[in-house]
Amino acid sequence: MPTVEYKGKVYEVDEDGFLAGGLEVWEEDWVDYVKTIEGIPEVTDEHWVCIKFLQDYYKKNGIAPPVRTFSKTVGKPLKRIYELFPSGPGKGACKMAGLPKPTGCV
Amino acid sequence: MAEAITINTDIIKQRLDFLKGARMKMWLDICAHCGLCAESCFFYQAHDKDPKMVPSYKIKKTIWELYKRKGNVDKEFMEQVYEIAFAECTACRRCSMYCPFGIDMATMIASTRAICRSQNLTPEGLQKAIENIWKEGNQMGMTKEEFVETCQWMEEENQAELPGLKIPIDKQGANMMYTVNAREPMFYPQDIGMAATIFHVAGEDWTMPSVGWDCTNLAMFAGDAKCMAHAVKLVYDAAKRLGVKRIGVTECGHAYRSLRFEGPYWLGLPGGQPPIPVIHSVQLFAEYLRDGRIKIDPAKKLKEPVTYQDPCNISRNGGLCDEARYIISHIATDFREMQPNREHNYCCGGGGGYIPMGPPFKKRRMASGKVKAEQIKATGAKIAIVPCHNCYDQIRDLNKEYNLGIEVKAFKEILTEIMIIPDELKAKGTEAA
Repeated sequence: MPTVEYKGKVYEVDEDGFLAGGLEVWEEDWVDYVKTIEGIPEVTDEHWVCIKFLQDYYKKNGIAPPVRTFSKTVGKPLKRIYELFPSGPGKGACKMAGLPKPTGCV
Repeated sequence: MAEAITINTDIIKQRLDFLKGARMKMWLDICAHCGLCAESCFFYQAHDKDPKMVPSYKIKKTIWELYKRKGNVDKEFMEQVYEIAFAECTACRRCSMYCPFGIDMATMIASTRAICRSQNLTPEGLQKAIENIWKEGNQMGMTKEEFVETCQWMEEENQAELPGLKIPIDKQGANMMYTVNAREPMFYPQDIGMAATIFHVAGEDWTMPSVGWDCTNLAMFAGDAKCMAHAVKLVYDAAKRLGVKRIGVTECGHAYRSLRFEGPYWLGLPGGQPPIPVIHSVQLFAEYLRDGRIKIDPAKKLKEPVTYQDPCNISRNGGLCDEARYIISHIATDFREMQPNREHNYCCGGGGGYIPMGPPFKKRRMASGKVKAEQIKATGAKIAIVPCHNCYDQIRDLNKEYNLGIEVKAFKEILTEIMIIPDELKAKGTEAA
């Protein structure tokens, strides 16, 4: 299993760079790390609302939400989600929240 | 791949007998080991001409050996077969085209995958997609309500600029039923908005079905005969139910291959033809331009050098080489062909389900994509036009991996940016001065 090192901590990741241990090992420093690789200048409250929602949805449903559900629940238009997470809701936002890479053609 | 695998040789034998039709018998007998397939394979090229990557070698080590041993194989052997069939071949059919005897090695690998499937040897990503197809009729397990609501959302968002734009769901008797890849409503709904914008400007009479809207077929890559037939039938049934004249397919390669060419055989349809004609977006957009239904603003034509990825299932296996170049002649001023191109083009290195197989295959996918990365680099293009979601994601990944410095775009992204929106369709106050 590949690993990445950030602030002296070592994270196991899959080959697409998603956190291998998932929510069990997810922590705030992981968010900081993903910020650096995703080219996000600063993690704001808006990011945190999204991260918390994705984690709650995943805990309940075992799958990432469709972006419509995501957008409606966090009250942000699609355009804003892409501004917050340049790689998009499936790859960028899920990675930051510690979810696995979504299944299928993504 | 499931953790605990036990091999059932009786089932392997049954599958081998079932697959041993006249063509398979001939292919197994006729290979002269001439090696002409070697150079045709991008895996072989990308791995410094490793003899293990020669297509005929991969056949010899998998299905040929399975027949030779009459299915009496063990777990270790089947695990090796699994690795070759899923991680060392994308079934792009380039070797099949170069074989002087016309041996269809891609079909033989697809058959090998079906035997793997009979032993529960399926990459986890494809396994989950199959479960989702059975459960909700699409590879990502979206519910009907979620899909319909997503379309309504895109309709509302796009009406800000085009007040008359509609995304009609389950409209009876429309000219075209448009179908998409589940990734679009799930994660990239703007793609549906772009398609709707083009259809609106073209004055298309179209609809999307609330069931049978996912045109993709990941079961085909896993070799699951029942599920791949089921996925195709959902789309055909939707088109028949709605009484449409044709089925439109989004910019996806394998969806076109399965619905247009393979599906009718899986379902035993007479003449090997779909019940309702299937048309790919590349054909559709070429038609709109030819008929003047959409027009490009000459001032907005792309000036940067542009290249085009011929997706295997659209060009080599779909025959739509000219249509793509016809569109490009309208939208770009500096078009640079990759070498080789058209039906001779190389696979992006991520086809045949390589991407949806999931993260355990990413590194190998990047290694096999070296040939494509070099092809793109040699064109000096700044934009790669890619009308297949799979090639699209692979080339975006290659862009990072090999520092290509390009933009990757689908036709619909470019068309919506540079086509002329007639004033009468625009929202009040936004018409051209």
